[in-house]
Amino acid sequence: MCCARLYYLPVVSLLAVLVAGAVETRAEPPSLRTVIDHQVLAVQGSQSVAPASASDDYMFARRVSLDLTGRPISVAALKEFVADSDSAKRERLIDRLLASPEYARHMQYTFDVLLMQRLPKKHIDPAAFAEFLRKSFAENKPFNQLALEILSADGAEETNRSASRFMLDRELKREETVRVIGRVFLGRDMQCAQCHNHPQIDDYYQRHYYGLAAFLKRSYLFTDPKSKQVMIGDKIKGDVTFTSVFTGEEGKTPPRMLELTELVDPQPVEEPYEVVPDKTNRGVPKYNRRLQLGPAMVSDSNRAFRLNITNRIWAQMMGQGFVEPLDMFHQENTPSHPQLLETLADALRDHNYDLKYLLKEIAMSAAYQRASYWEGEELPPATSYLVGSIKPLSPEQFAWTLLQSLGEVQKQRALAIAGFRKADEAFDPQSNAAQVRIESAVTAALKPTIDKVVAVFASQNTASKFDASANHALFLINGPEIAERLLPGQGYLIDQLLACETSTEVGDQTYLNVYSRLPTESERALAVTFIEASPGQKQIAVQELLRTLLCSAEYRFVR
Amino acid sequence: MAIRRNTGCNQIDHDLSRRGFLGGGMMAGAMAGFGSLLSPAMARDMKGQQKQILQVYLQGGVSQFESWDPKPNTTFGGPFRAIPTSVPGTHICELLPHTAKKMHLLSLVRSINLGINDHHQAMLFMEKGRPMGTYPYVGAVASKYLSEPSNPLPGFVHITTRGITGPTAGFLEAQHAQMRLEGVKPPQNLGLPEGVSPELALRSENLRLQLNQQFSSGRSRSLIDSYDASFDQARQLIERTHLFSDQDEKELDRYGRHWFGRRCLLARTLLEEGVTCVKVTHHGYDTHAENFNFHIEQLDEFDNSFATLLGDIEQRGMLENVLVIVYSEFGRTPAINHKYGRDHWGTSLSVAMGGCGIQPGGVVGSTNADGTAVADREVDGGHLFHTYLQAVGIDSQKNHEIPGRSIPIGDPVAAPIKELLS
Repeated sequence: MCCARLYYLPVVSLLAVLVAGAVETRAEPPSLRTVIDHQVLAVQGSQSVAPASASDDYMFARRVSLDLTGRPISVAALKEFVADSDSAKRERLIDRLLASPEYARHMQYTFDVLLMQRLPKKHIDPAAFAEFLRKSFAENKPFNQLALEILSADGAEETNRSASRFMLDRELKREETVRVIGRVFLGRDMQCAQCHNHPQIDDYYQRHYYGLAAFLKRSYLFTDPKSKQVMIGDKIKGDVTFTSVFTGEEGKTPPRMLELTELVDPQPVEEPYEVVPDKTNRGVPKYNRRLQLGPAMVSDSNRAFRLNITNRIWAQMMGQGFVEPLDMFHQENTPSHPQLLETLADALRDHNYDLKYLLKEIAMSAAYQRASYWEGEELPPATSYLVGSIKPLSPEQFAWTLLQSLGEVQKQRALAIAGFRKADEAFDPQSNAAQVRIESAVTAALKPTIDKVVAVFASQNTASKFDASANHALFLINGPEIAERLLPGQGYLIDQLLACETSTEVGDQTYLNVYSRLPTESERALAVTFIEASPGQKQIAVQELLRTLLCSAEYRFVR
Repeated sequence: MAIRRNTGCNQIDHDLSRRGFLGGGMMAGAMAGFGSLLSPAMARDMKGQQKQILQVYLQGGVSQFESWDPKPNTTFGGPFRAIPTSVPGTHICELLPHTAKKMHLLSLVRSINLGINDHHQAMLFMEKGRPMGTYPYVGAVASKYLSEPSNPLPGFVHITTRGITGPTAGFLEAQHAQMRLEGVKPPQNLGLPEGVSPELALRSENLRLQLNQQFSSGRSRSLIDSYDASFDQARQLIERTHLFSDQDEKELDRYGRHWFGRRCLLARTLLEEGVTCVKVTHHGYDTHAENFNFHIEQLDEFDNSFATLLGDIEQRGMLENVLVIVYSEFGRTPAINHKYGRDHWGTSLSVAMGGCGIQPGGVVGSTNADGTAVADREVDGGHLFHTYLQAVGIDSQKNHEIPGRSIPIGDPVAAPIKELLS
């Protein structure tokens, strides 16, 4: 087997690794995590700066839990992890998180927002699409398969109805559909190229935009007369032409994936339809152009597809894509680590587009596990990956994090387990199946609140990595969703805090539940002073301490 | 090879048509009179003062026949007369008697063709200056480029009660998105949590700052700073809760005690407090039935409140720094349907604007005699968008420079209406 060549194109890099790791045997290709660490540092060149030290267990556990499951590690699991002396405990934690139902939920949220941009319902229930995504990630469906299903679903069969939201809820409108396909699957926002070759980007051409449009040109919305359901029908005719608004030049293109070979329609046959389109029948041609889109997209020859998903997964973990913005791949916006991006993308392809594999290898790299503060003079740029980044929590991550810190998640979890036990005495909450049921029950119970938080924090601003407005701050300072859960006597965290005997203990418990770490000595003193400055008003002071930590920057970011 | 921007994009004849200006060029004297507003000395004084925008949005589509472009005694003209205004030669509909007295502060564009008859799409074209795509609204662009960094208030406030809340900041930062006020009610969550004294709130605020200070050590400050700024803005709003609750009774007598009057008065307050773009929505112009009766009611509310607001802005010396825009998503059909209604019409409509950067007293473009099509100087939402921004000193032909991309501020295929700019 000669996999090594896939990961080590430049001979220089290969030699460097062989020299550096003399113990390494030639037969075994280096693991991807090793390759990551080597190539991240290799790009620095001669003026190399030593990277930040490794994160401590608290920082690592919080970060990896938020990145892989969208919520912080529970205090109980955190304490267990920190106390564990096994040298492989980080890998074990990563494996546990990737196997959890929370992983599938987090990926569901992430890809739902990416693919659907929070669009309201049109023809397909958004919850059904979300569930399709969750199941796909729970079974670790290869990403190329997932993309193929989403791009091919016509909504006519029950089996592909939920997946068809991507196309159907955009009603096949060219300006929305083509743009989103370019952005989320190819890493190219070609909005400008619908009216003219991009004015500032030399390799975004109108023919790329219309090459994608050509796949869908023959498709139309069909309303089934019996079920009244809207689905996609297809015809055998229809080609795209376009005109530049600047030059007036006209052009036309058959279906094509960027600069790859144009797709040629097969020779016309005598009876081109399986089902001839009319008022009561959805057109089904024998050769369906639309169905060429998925295969052309995920084809090995389409490098843009694997580079895009690799860059997105890398950015999700590292807080900084090799290419930024994530949907601006073009020749003048080169990746910070072109070789590494190629290597990871090829590795993903060779591992059958297994996203868990890629996520785990990144999570196991030293680059991912670095501390997120810099002790040297000048903070290195984010593109160096020499220091851990701070990543703003997504609205969904933030909602879950808030509800967990306030004790709501734990409360709902206990209620769900009690409910299942009542129905079935033998219910074992530790089993895998039970974990899935509990997670679903908790999510269903919390959905209205999660939706409210998301409505406040969701932004359409895809260009900026972080957004904060007065609305967000007002919500945290005085929003009822938080205020209600700061009241004692309802089984929330505040009850535990008020039951603490000393102010020191209150401070420690608050830090563990909010920041997933213990306070430093000076922080502990600060918390104690804060609580004790309001004699006779302990309850309000403790509530305010908790609220203030929820309002702090450390809480708003993955660090 | 890619085509560079601004090459061959000037498809519309930009030649200045002064004939349409000031009612057929008869009013050279009037022009001289208003010209004093535009003297270089004034322009110098304006420097350093924040430019602002007041948008008055007549939601649903005001009829151009019953407002800015009356066609009395014609096939589709309807029952109302045209009345003279403070600009000799310019007539508007008799439903706007108070506004007519202030027309010397405004100019009209009567030749807008959007080619869109859908409420939402047309509204987006008017707000974003593009017929499609993700772009920021006028108010968000103003917030981004005009707000002084020291300005504690949100840059773009929209006083409304209904309507879809879509993304308004496009690819700009969330702080430039509209802050939506439900009528004259204060924003949500404005106030201190129950039981928290101002002293305790201050201690919490100090603790938060201390924690953030510590956290920012060895980390990128920019994200943490923008998070801190949002709390600062929230605090400023909390301190100004009174702006939203206490409306002066005497002033309400002048503005009108209906919702629109109250909103106009709040708009004046917010402009005085330094909000960069204040948008006030007056709902209810979608008159598919009883167009004429509804316009009597609607415009009766609009006319007095708007004229009072415009007068106050002028009287307080703010007009030279405040661009005032009155617009709808589209106009209404010439044809009158069997329910005495007029339907959606994006083919020929009018907009009124004045104040900062705008030549007052002008009329740009015209419709044909029956008002069924634009006759002269056709423009669309793209041209208006450029014009608004140029008027407040933003070069709309430059780019938004955001990380990783440059995006033209105004649509490169459109251009400002130069004859309107002072």
